[in-house]
This record gives sequence, structure tokens and C-alpha cells, in this order.
Amino acid sequence: MITLELEDSVLKLDLPSVEAKIKRFIKDYIEKCGAKGVVLGVSGGVDSCTTAAIASLSLGGEKVLGLMLPEEETINKVDIQHARSVAKKFGFNLETIDISPTLRACINSLPVYDKTDKLSKGNLKARIRMVYLYYYANRLHRIVCGSSDKSETMMGYFTKWGDAAADITPLMDLYKTQVRQLALHIGLPPEIATKPSTPALWPGHLAEEELGVKYETLDLILYGLEHFMTTEEIAHQLNISTRLVEDIKRRWQTMEHKRRLPLTTKLGYRTIGADFRLPYTA
Amino acid sequence: MLEEVSIALSQISCRIGDKKYNLDKMREQIKQAKKNGASLVIFPELALTGYTLKDLVYESAEPIPGPSTNLLTEVAKKENVHIVLGMVEQSEKAGAVLYNTAVLLSPKGFVGKYQKLYLPTHSVFEEKRYFRLGYNLPVFDTDIGKLGLIICYDVFFPETARLLRLKGAQLIVCISASPAVRRKFFEVLTVARAIENTVFLAYVNLVGIEDGLQFWGGSRLIAPNGSIISQAKYDDEDLVAGKINYADLKRTETFVPTLRDLRPELFDSLKWQLENL
Repeated sequence: MITLELEDSVLKLDLPSVEAKIKRFIKDYIEKCGAKGVVLGVSGGVDSCTTAAIASLSLGGEKVLGLMLPEEETINKVDIQHARSVAKKFGFNLETIDISPTLRACINSLPVYDKTDKLSKGNLKARIRMVYLYYYANRLHRIVCGSSDKSETMMGYFTKWGDAAADITPLMDLYKTQVRQLALHIGLPPEIATKPSTPALWPGHLAEEELGVKYETLDLILYGLEHFMTTEEIAHQLNISTRLVEDIKRRWQTMEHKRRLPLTTKLGYRTIGADFRLPYTA
Repeated sequence: MLEEVSIALSQISCRIGDKKYNLDKMREQIKQAKKNGASLVIFPELALTGYTLKDLVYESAEPIPGPSTNLLTEVAKKENVHIVLGMVEQSEKAGAVLYNTAVLLSPKGFVGKYQKLYLPTHSVFEEKRYFRLGYNLPVFDTDIGKLGLIICYDVFFPETARLLRLKGAQLIVCISASPAVRRKFFEVLTVARAIENTVFLAYVNLVGIEDGLQFWGGSRLIAPNGSIISQAKYDDEDLVAGKINYADLKRTETFVPTLRDLRPELFDSLKWQLENL
């Protein structure tokens, strides 16, 4: 019997092959849907910088438009510098729009707004960014390219209809630590590839702090779950508590509603999201 | 019958559900292959429609023989070549009964068909949702040798190629739509099926991207000793040719006499064990 060893090596990628596949995937989809290019949100974090860079390698920078959409509470000059340096290196256009006025307008028009509820406000920021991205995509006949990775998608660690809203998400089958490998491989500087992840929904918001586990460990737990390992096996191999693994497993399973179309009840002959099955590009 | 046969492996990408586009592409490939002297041109699994049809499978199906095979039979006659391709077959008796089928056409007309025995329904594959299992493994006696056809996942089951060989097949044609993550399996298994049966094996895989699945190509013509006679590119469309000579079968059988050494009594035990798994 083959025993799955949860070591760092299981997350090692054949990087040239992965790079080639992702580039082919982006180019192929753009050609098939007839879009003129991609629009993507660029925060300056590893996921969005890697996505913008690889999209530029695939399509040419002139077909990639990055939108930096900062707001006053969470604006980070280092992230902006990072985004600009990646845009320069990979030759894609970068525009900056301060979403603070829009956020304030939304807040002022929300009768139920509660300033102590930082999660709802944070999600509002992500959804406002989605609105900007899709407006640009519509105007420019482009598609929105998301930058979600597998770790945050499995954990449901994103804003529903916010940062995960996209037409394609080329990195979604790569765990966070694998995205970091790919980032270095395609030439992103280490200070971007290895910097701590943040959804930036509120000031000082750090992913690993909120998730309660380092990505190096989380990715191995998720890899184990992906490969049908039991929580006990995973905990034993990683020398961590079974409780932590069970919490992560529960979170992964209960977040399915964020990854799929809204659930309906079956009434018709063929039902959307259930047994109505069509190819993406036919 | 020809002792030496030139075989073209036509590794194409397909447009989902667009039979006209795919047929036009096949016609061009056949012309090109014929210019290069091919007697047999092989296309991938479900090449007529693309692989990831999902519910489009119902509107893409047609009887065999039927409109598309009739059209390609005319091409076979005109170009004086044999053709193997994959397509969705619709039963003449029940419209929603479909098969994942490989078709063999010759300059003399329709030769025969093979309905896939092993339908993968795991991971990203959902073939049993749409297709009925086939029940026969025919061997076709043609002017270019005795041919057996298998499709993709069939190659994981050694009994398919073995039965074809025991029925006298000299060349096994395996058409495929294999995504990239499975490349290592197919590279080993196709060679293994050729060696263990001392038979020529022509493997033709799809390329292109369908619903996020990237088909890896890498089509190859394999000699009975496992050596690769010719191989197509990975990941890109390609048209390669290779020659086989059936005289090599006897030479290899002498060197590695697997057919002589087969033990029939094991098959009863295999059957019993499988029924009681």
C-alpha cells in the first residue's frame, strides 16, 4: 500500500509545465470567448501580482489591465509599489481608482449600517471592487480574471460575489504555497512572492492570523483532505491537534455555498446547477 | 494484405459540438496524410465533436453508419485510405441510447465499429452518465491487416488488448481523450499493452483545452517490442506518420513468447476472484 507522506515535497510543482498550462488556458479561453483581453484587480499581493504577470506572459501586456482599487482605511504604499513594479516588469497597464468615495456613498445610503461590524464593511469593499472590475470589462469587451488560490477557495476565505467574482481563475487549482513557487519561477521578486497574505478588509488584517494556521501547514492539511486522508491521519503526520484539522475540514465543507451557483429546489425537467450540464465554451 | 503499412496519427484539437468544423479539419488532415503516403489515418476519441460535450452529447449523436461516417467514407474512397475516428453513436432502436464509439472506414466503405467497454466515471469523467457500455471487441480483417480498436480508459484493462490479440489482431488502435494529469499512466500502459501482447499499437490522443481539461497529445506508434516508431508533439496539434511491418510480429513473438506462455487456467480464477471482490 502506498502511504501518502504529508511533506513539503508533495506541494512541489513541475513549474515550467504549470506555467505553460496556465498560459495556454488563459489564451485559449480568451480566444474562444472572443474577448479583447482581461481586467483584473491588483492589490499588490502575491496572488494578484502572479495572476497579472502570468496573464501578461500569456496574452501580452497590452491585453492585460490591472486595476488598483485602494480605499483610505487599508491603503498600503508598499503594496502599491509592488503592483507598480510588477506592472512595469511584465508590461501590463495599471490604473488606480480610489474606491473610498463609493464606499462612503454606500455606507451613507445603508439604513442598517453598523460601524462596529467590520466584516460586513470589509465585504462591501470587496463587492465594490467587483463592480468596478465588471464595469471595465463590459466597457472594454474584456473578461474579469480572478486571482483566487486553492487554499482560500477551499476555506471559503473570500467575499462571496466579491473578490472571487470572475470569469476565469487561472490559479484556483494551486495552493497558496504553490502560488508562491510559481511567483518566484516567473520572476516576481521574493519580497512579493513571500510576503504575508492579507484580504485587507480592515486595517492590519492578516490571513494567517485570522485563519489561525500558517499556510505551510494549512496547505498540507488541505492536500491531505483533497486526497481523502482522515483527520486523524493528517494530524498524526503533521504532529498537530486533530481538533485543528477537524475545524479546517468543517470549514472547507460548510463553505461549498460560496463556491457554487445558488441552490434551488428541483421543479423542472433540467435544473440549473444540478442536471443542466453544458460545456463552458461551445 | 499489405505487410508494410504506413500509419498517420492525426492529433487534432476539436471544437465542441461543431461537427462541420471538425469534419473539415479531418478532411484536410487526411489529404495531408495521404500526400505523405499513409494507408491509415487515425483521429482521437470523440474527434467528430470534441470530448467534453456534457448534455450536447444528445444533439451530437448519430447512427453508424450515418451522415458523418457516410461523408468520411467518401473521403476514404477518394483518398484511398483507411480512417479511424471516435464519435458519439446513437442507437437505431432507442434515441437516447448512446455509445462512445470508434469507427473504421476503408476505401471499400464502412468496415465496422467498436463501442467502448470501459466508461470512466470518476474524477472529471462522467461517461456512464451518458453512454451505454459496449459488449464486443471485434477484430477487423482488412487490406492493411487485422485491426482491433480500443478507446482510452480501455487501455487500463489488459484483457481488452489481450482478447483482441488472441482474436488475431496485429495492430491495436487506441484512440483517446486523456487530460494532462494522466500522461504518465498512458505512456506506460500503451507500451505495456504492445509488449505483453507482442502487437503493434497506435495511440492517438486529443489536444487542446475543453472545459479546463488540457489534453496532452503525445500520440505514438509503438512496436511489439515496446519501441516508439513515431511520436507526435505534446500539447499541440500534430500529424506524424510511421511504418509498421507485420513480419516484426513473429520476430518479437520468438524473442518474448508471451502468447505461447499464456496460462488459460488462470482466467477462471481471475473471473471467480473478480466476481467475489
